[in-house]
Amino acid sequence: MDFELPSEHRMIRDTVREFCEEEISPIAQEIEDEHRFPEEVFDELADLDMLGVPISEEYGGLGGDQLMYALVTEELGRVSGGIGLSYAAHVSLASKPIELFGTDEQKERWLRPLAEGDYLGAWALTEPGSGSDASDMDTVAEKDGDEWVLNGTKQFITNANVAGSVLVKAVTDPGEGYDGISTFIVDPRNDDGFEVTSVWDKMGLNSSPTCELAFDDVRLPEDRLLGEEGEGWTQTMKTLDGGRISIAALSTGLAQGAYEAAKTYAADREQFGKPISKFDAIRDKLVDMHRKTERARLLTHKAATRYDNGQSVTQESALAKLDASEAARKVAEDAVQVLGGYGYTEDFAPQRFYRDAKLMEIGEGTSEIQHLVIGRQLGL
Amino acid sequence: MKVLVTVKEVAEVEDDFEIADLDVDPRYLEYDLNEWDEYAVESAVQLAEAADEEVEVVSVTIGPERSEETIRMALAKGVDRAVRVWDDDIEAAEFLDVASKVRLLEAVVAEEDPDIVLSGVQAHDTGFGATGVALADAIGFEWGAVVNALDIEGVLNDGVARVHRELEGGIEELTEIDLPAVLTIQTGINEPRYASLRGIRQAQSKEIAPKTLSDLGLDFSAVESELFLTDMYEPETESDATYFEGDAGEQAAALASALREKGVGAE
Repeated sequence: MDFELPSEHRMIRDTVREFCEEEISPIAQEIEDEHRFPEEVFDELADLDMLGVPISEEYGGLGGDQLMYALVTEELGRVSGGIGLSYAAHVSLASKPIELFGTDEQKERWLRPLAEGDYLGAWALTEPGSGSDASDMDTVAEKDGDEWVLNGTKQFITNANVAGSVLVKAVTDPGEGYDGISTFIVDPRNDDGFEVTSVWDKMGLNSSPTCELAFDDVRLPEDRLLGEEGEGWTQTMKTLDGGRISIAALSTGLAQGAYEAAKTYAADREQFGKPISKFDAIRDKLVDMHRKTERARLLTHKAATRYDNGQSVTQESALAKLDASEAARKVAEDAVQVLGGYGYTEDFAPQRFYRDAKLMEIGEGTSEIQHLVIGRQLGL
Repeated sequence: MKVLVTVKEVAEVEDDFEIADLDVDPRYLEYDLNEWDEYAVESAVQLAEAADEEVEVVSVTIGPERSEETIRMALAKGVDRAVRVWDDDIEAAEFLDVASKVRLLEAVVAEEDPDIVLSGVQAHDTGFGATGVALADAIGFEWGAVVNALDIEGVLNDGVARVHRELEGGIEELTEIDLPAVLTIQTGINEPRYASLRGIRQAQSKEIAPKTLSDLGLDFSAVESELFLTDMYEPETESDATYFEGDAGEQAAALASALREKGVGAE
């Protein structure tokens, strides 16, 4: 077992870190305050070839592996959860399924602009009435001649109002349950009947748009069906296996950012005549934060490495996501505590990590669902 | 056309450190590309990008194997290939002075035959600030030191480096230097780019050619230094801060008289 990152991965991590510290960190709080999606940052990420890290070079991606993608996502999370979330949704949920399940023509038309960073993508599964029980959806697609007609509502869809493509799950055969769901590629800029009906104000992650979408007789040609009819649910499971690794990586980044903010503060802040890091109460807290962060990172890298080896990752990615999201929330909470009154102000970063971390225990499968997935994997 | 860029991996010292013998204890050191060299690399790559004909950018480093990751970062930013000079004799040399470095670089210049050599004004760690101009003297090139603007078209089309140099008192000097020439590049001349991730991936397969002294037709005498380091220590710091007591008016009055004593302010 080799716990050292390959040199290429290290160089990529260091470069992304430098970019994040110079270009993103200074505006991270401002874009949250303004609830502003920072399009200019994503243009720069595109210039640095970051928007298609694990997508093949044939379709404009970087051709990197899942571990490389996890490292990049962690670095974004370390400075901005919002940018990290929009990034992870773009890559794992909006781009990767087209590479895994699309035809060559679909990849050329829909994957290339995503991988090259012409625009971001989105993925629409959750509905107002179906969250954890995601297959119980009301959005339907009916065949009419050589077109599909899409009707329904999707909820909490990341990037939808800035996206150039949205992968939409819909029921195509109501009697078939899991096997009656299919995936469609919707063009939000050109398809009639698509509407973003709401952009949510949230507890955190407000630089990453979260939308409610309505589909009113959206007519789609046959070549917008991704993969086979009825494959939508198995695609979803495979997509989330990879997606959860990126949420684990993002969570690790949030934890790392919060830990570093607390550590720096504790070394400078003096009370009773010495730095507070020299008091057991604070030192132990910082050590514990470091322990949780490092554990989350190890589980994330393990899941990513297995993914790259072509092994099953259902259990590993659920475990990494469960552990890292919890670590992020706890470490961020402790960071607020270490900074005391300052930690509760928006002039310091810990409150932002705390707000952002909470979503990690909810999105792409709640912690409760991760327990369910892992329990099944353990034969329980 | 060929551009040779001298790059150095420099040691950066952590805030808290200890000195062991004649150097900072390596435990407190991190290594990175010398800041000035970042700007020299950017200038070289901009030359290559602006050219219609083929411009090859080669970097040369005197440094151990450890420095390859740093060198590779320059390759990721657009340098075509790299030469790294090192062997046991260089490793064993007590101190690499400017003359030693120039002897090694002179041999590389003889092999590569560049039209223009770019180097950082100085290295962040040793800070001699002399390697570039001393090399120019050794190889018989024209030279320009502390360059803060370079006309790329002139280099490519006219074989002339039109350079701006910043002089004391905010005066700018414009100089025309015929190629071949050595220019030492000042920070701020350009905005060094981030390496793109594709650049980093491609850099993995670019050549870093290792060269020993004998590869360059030299022997151990090339790194015999006439300069010896005799001591390294942290100077005693003297605090010269004065705290003014009292309310704002009293503090301002005390500050005013202190400034007047130091000769600040109009009559």
